[in-house]
Amino acid sequence: MTETIQLALKTLEAQLNQPLETALEACARCGLCAEACHYYRAEPKVEHIPAFRAEQLRSVYRYEHDFLSRLFPVWTGAKKLDEPMLANLTEIAFSQCTLCRRCTVNCPLGVDTPLMMRAIRAMATASGTAPEILVMLADAAIEKGKDPSFYKEMFLEQIKEMEEQLRDVTGDENATIPVEKQGAKILYVPLAGAHTILPPAVVFNAAKEDWTLSIFEASNYGVFLADVNRAKQVAKRIVDEANRLGVKEIVIAECGHAYASYRWDVPNWFAGQFDFKVRSLIEVLGDYIREGKIKVDPTAIPEGVTYHDSCNLARNGGLIEEPRYVLKNVAQDFREMTPNKDEAICCGGGGGLVALAEYAERRIAAGKPKADQIKQTGAKVVVAACENCRLQIGDINEHYNLNVKTTAITDLVVRAMRLPKPLPGHEAEYLFEGEGAAIARE
Amino acid sequence: MLTFQLLALAGLLAGLYGIYIRYIETKRRALPADNSPLKGNPSHGIAYAFTKGMMPWAKESTRLHMIAYLRGIGFHIGIFTSIGALLISPFWRNLPPLLSSTLIWALTIGALLGAAGGLMRIIEHNLRGLSLPDDYFAVWLVTVWMAVSAVAVWNEAWMPAYYVLSAITLAYIPLGKIRHCLYFFFSRTFFGKFFGRRAVFPHPESMK
Repeated sequence: MTETIQLALKTLEAQLNQPLETALEACARCGLCAEACHYYRAEPKVEHIPAFRAEQLRSVYRYEHDFLSRLFPVWTGAKKLDEPMLANLTEIAFSQCTLCRRCTVNCPLGVDTPLMMRAIRAMATASGTAPEILVMLADAAIEKGKDPSFYKEMFLEQIKEMEEQLRDVTGDENATIPVEKQGAKILYVPLAGAHTILPPAVVFNAAKEDWTLSIFEASNYGVFLADVNRAKQVAKRIVDEANRLGVKEIVIAECGHAYASYRWDVPNWFAGQFDFKVRSLIEVLGDYIREGKIKVDPTAIPEGVTYHDSCNLARNGGLIEEPRYVLKNVAQDFREMTPNKDEAICCGGGGGLVALAEYAERRIAAGKPKADQIKQTGAKVVVAACENCRLQIGDINEHYNLNVKTTAITDLVVRAMRLPKPLPGHEAEYLFEGEGAAIARE
Repeated sequence: MLTFQLLALAGLLAGLYGIYIRYIETKRRALPADNSPLKGNPSHGIAYAFTKGMMPWAKESTRLHMIAYLRGIGFHIGIFTSIGALLISPFWRNLPPLLSSTLIWALTIGALLGAAGGLMRIIEHNLRGLSLPDDYFAVWLVTVWMAVSAVAVWNEAWMPAYYVLSAITLAYIPLGKIRHCLYFFFSRTFFGKFFGRRAVFPHPESMK
């Protein structure tokens, strides 16, 4: 047995807890999960049935753990793990499953196939066979956390420029983007890029929020690698920052995996050291609208708008009605996709897939069911509260000629706030009506 | 007859012991604590997982494959009837005729539904692609057991064969895929805890 295989098996053993063993044991191979998977919907073949994918790991588990399988491996399909099998498992887990859990909710037994796919990802990461780019991105984030001074100066300069833009578009000379503000109530954690800083900054300023911007980004590639050690190190940067600044709450940008991990995983990884409320920016937007802290014009967006439920936010995160509340307050013509909410079809961009160029063709092919859904709504704007979903929808928009615009919820809210000037890059969307613009300034 | 009854009893005890061992082994594994602040209620999620969540209309998969799902439900009802029938088998002769014929019908229907499932595994492309020898053996073993149960209720001459088959079927439960009967409970519980905590199931809107 090679060292690679030893490491992979050791990692499987280390992960074998009650939920994973249950997932490995419970499947009756009834095949009802087939249509739940967007890969199968896009290309119906046995290899795309979630149960089939999971079976590839089960065969390894049975060989190691099952009495009957040790005696008669053919009877139960048990196989000894070798390097080609590990390569096949790795490819399945990283390129044919977005960890969306749609198969789980459609399984009569509730088998958690994504949990098994995560186990494979962890095996691949530990044995050095995981996609290199994900490892590099995770490690780069960890390094950034070790010595932020290296890029901090440049970041602060960029923020200064953004602050100028903020003042320009809002017409508010006192508008700021505070960084490292001690004792602020909210630590807002953006993604890489001004598009997740400037629009929220508009909202926070309008709501007169006591906030500060994180110097780190919310993305966590350790999560995609299913490497808890790396994921914890990436998250620690923000946990430490929140502790250092003494904030009460961490607000995560519109990002599916970042929200799901900070809301549901990080409190477990840092048990006892994590005393922050975690909310998505979507929840904050909803509260501001509900409490009248920001004024939005419900007629500002007349074109048909549809919403794509990110799997990490909705099915895996519980944010189902919150985005709809916001959208119904800013969009005149809101149209649901069918199916939606907990039954929403994955766009195909989750699980780190958008970062893996080698699987782009497969990813776009698997986005066909989502493209069909979008087409059926006839909407012109597709809103997604997740960066990876937006990137994927952008790609399938182009590939399947959907002719839609993909946007974030915050962008629409800012548009409905009717600022005196549009945000950079959003000029074409704005209807400059003097009255509307005044609403935001009141 | 006593020998055959004891054989069936031995099969039952072996099956129960095997399942018990499986249960203990799984319970010995770590159960990760979840300290994330609640949004929903894990208990409500578990209740949902075993009740409304099992309804044929609760999931897209079962709505799409309603007949296959109901066939499976009927098959499993037949299996539980068969186990119940085994436990009262020494008293079959004393059953009122109505109860006796109901039992025969229930077991026959269960066996027919099982046979349909067994045939589907052979005919249907996806199911064939997913199936292992264990799957074919398990479904046909249980199907034949139910069929022989029905015949034995009707004709006492089949009792020895019935008890032998019962022993084999019950002893096989923890060894092969039939042990999903134990993991069903683990799986639906974890499902309920996970989605209940996150307020995905039951969806708060559906509780209003």
